[in-house]
Amino acid sequence: MYTTALIWLLLTPFILSLAAFAVRWAGSVGVWMAEALHLVSVTVTLVLTIVVVQGVLAQGTVTAANDWFHVDALAAVFLLIIGVVGFLVGLYSIGYIRNDLQVGELKEPQVSLYYGLFELFLFTMLLVVTANNIIIMWVAVEATTLGSAFLVGIYGHRASLEAAWKYVMICTVGVAFGLYGTVLVYSDAVHFLTAPGTAVLWTEIVKNAASLDPTLLKMAFVFVLIGFGTKAGIFPMHAWLPDAHSEAPSPVSAMLSGVLLNCALFVVLRFSIILDYGVGPELPRVIFLVFGALSVIAASLFMFAQKDVKRLLAYSSVENIGLILLGFGIGGQVGILAALLQAVNHSIVKSLMFCTTGNILMKYHTRQLDKIRGMLQAVPLTSLALMLGALALVGVPPLNIFISKFTIIGAGFQSGHIWLMIFILLALAVIFAAFMKALSSSVFGEMPEGMDKGEVMIWGFAPLAALGLLIVALGVYLPPQLNALLNQATTIALAGQPAMNVDVMNIVKLLVP
Amino acid sequence: MQNVNLINSLSGLLILTSLLVIEAKTLRQSAIQYGIQSFVLVLIFLALASTMEGAESLYYWAASAFLTKAVLVPIILARAEKSMEGQPAATVRPWASIALAGASLVVSFLVVNSLQLRIAVEFKPALAVSIAHFFFGQLCILTQKNMLKQVLGFCLMENGSHLTLALLAYNAPELVEVGIATDAVFGVIIMVILLVQINKSLHTLDVIELKSLKG
Repeated sequence: MYTTALIWLLLTPFILSLAAFAVRWAGSVGVWMAEALHLVSVTVTLVLTIVVVQGVLAQGTVTAANDWFHVDALAAVFLLIIGVVGFLVGLYSIGYIRNDLQVGELKEPQVSLYYGLFELFLFTMLLVVTANNIIIMWVAVEATTLGSAFLVGIYGHRASLEAAWKYVMICTVGVAFGLYGTVLVYSDAVHFLTAPGTAVLWTEIVKNAASLDPTLLKMAFVFVLIGFGTKAGIFPMHAWLPDAHSEAPSPVSAMLSGVLLNCALFVVLRFSIILDYGVGPELPRVIFLVFGALSVIAASLFMFAQKDVKRLLAYSSVENIGLILLGFGIGGQVGILAALLQAVNHSIVKSLMFCTTGNILMKYHTRQLDKIRGMLQAVPLTSLALMLGALALVGVPPLNIFISKFTIIGAGFQSGHIWLMIFILLALAVIFAAFMKALSSSVFGEMPEGMDKGEVMIWGFAPLAALGLLIVALGVYLPPQLNALLNQATTIALAGQPAMNVDVMNIVKLLVP
Repeated sequence: MQNVNLINSLSGLLILTSLLVIEAKTLRQSAIQYGIQSFVLVLIFLALASTMEGAESLYYWAASAFLTKAVLVPIILARAEKSMEGQPAATVRPWASIALAGASLVVSFLVVNSLQLRIAVEFKPALAVSIAHFFFGQLCILTQKNMLKQVLGFCLMENGSHLTLALLAYNAPELVEVGIATDAVFGVIIMVILLVQINKSLHTLDVIELKSLKG
């Protein structure tokens, strides 16, 4: 049953994407049909994701097509992010795109195109995290760029086309490095895994990682980091990210930031596990620490100077990817567990934030922070969502990011990276100031003259409320299933190092010697 | 052995043709040169397929590469060029291109020589050329002002990485190679569609004009 669910999980968004493209020429009926197809797609994806994750909890792994697809607990964590965020942002999309249609930003055929591309994007990301074949993993990451490029440039404005061009160019060139890393690993593995069909499988390579050539493996990892790191938005390969995130329609920004970056990071993680087994965890740890710290520190400086609300959030994504990398770099059970939790928490908060900026755009028609004023008066619900998200992002307790962020920093201190953590704390203080500056000017104050009070899209608020609820709930309670999943995922990422089953909400206690 | 020499020599031809791609007077000529280069790549695939054991899937790849890289992509690029306006003048002089290609080759030979490969040992020259080709393609993207030339840089880069793939993963399952080839063609198609849209809105192909996003 679980295998069938996995196959349909991949097929559903792909088939429905083609169907959405097909109804492009059906005028206003086509819009309705595309919306219906989209609704079915995101709902079925969510349901099947939950089934597959249950399968992983019940039997450890779910596989399909001769092991070409393999979902273990680590993949399941990322799958869950795609399923949940994809569903909620997918729901938000319907209202947002309807508004774009109403105000003339998009035309009817473009709406079907949007949904077709959204489903395709969803499919490619699902393919990234479920693929066990390392070359297909690369193909899928490359396909995420191709699937989402037109989504970034869908408005056809000068700036959005420019962002789409930079996105495609930087990411395809970057990800090409990833192909070299992948091929180097394969070409070495095929030497002793004589059946070529098995030498492409991550599970088989991991089992035999000790036989891989250490120099080649290290070189491959550098290629992988440059390649997939570009896609994950790691500094200094992040150049595409602020442009694409800010110019894309807000729900797409939410998917790019909340889901796509994690998928790319997942691939880097898969390769670092091979390296851990092959030559030990020292090299990936150092690389993760260096790039993680650089990302957080650089992002903090960019954020402080930001005047565009979506670019502010985009750089915040660079910061959070940096924090996740730091967690993996610190390593050990606590570091890795906190990093995975941070990935989950950040994806939820950032999707809420980007959807919120969607509401702001609908009301204020600008992203410039100095022109967004008096939100509390004009759009009280949206301003509450914005405040909640911003407080969560800076790590205020008891909201969800607090636990993961605090634990990463704590684990850093505990493992002896004291100076590094002091720099990170300074950067986080700058980020705190940047958010407070942005919030105080936009939420409070007088709303612009002539603006009517009230939300543009009240019924579309449900997904935002659900995301807000998750932010609050996951700050105080973690469902036992998610707790178990995160523990199992950590065991996989620890690559053979011993791990004990812990209560993730009390993970901080592990920091006390 | 004969085939090994043939493959290494044909790989050398790739670098030569890539210089012609970049230095051609018009984009139409560049596209044709790219088609010729891709044909050389197809010949390498065929030679590899007949030389290496278990490399039958390379025959399929040769066929699909002929259709896509040697025919389809040059046609797409030549047609796209017709409909576009505002082409910037060349930024890189021919001697600079030759120097860049030479530098890529030297670096790649050094890298490949330091590698302890367990397969394709006899193809080290071809492997070095493939990596050099990959870097040369990247350098084109970085140095060319003309966005269509940047797309050609991407194509050169892909030809390089596909040769590496054929040399090091000649026995990979067909579906893997189909996946990579599909990504490559869609990559070019998407870039060209975006370029057509950009050209309609900005009336230029000069990448320097893309400056509305900063900070």
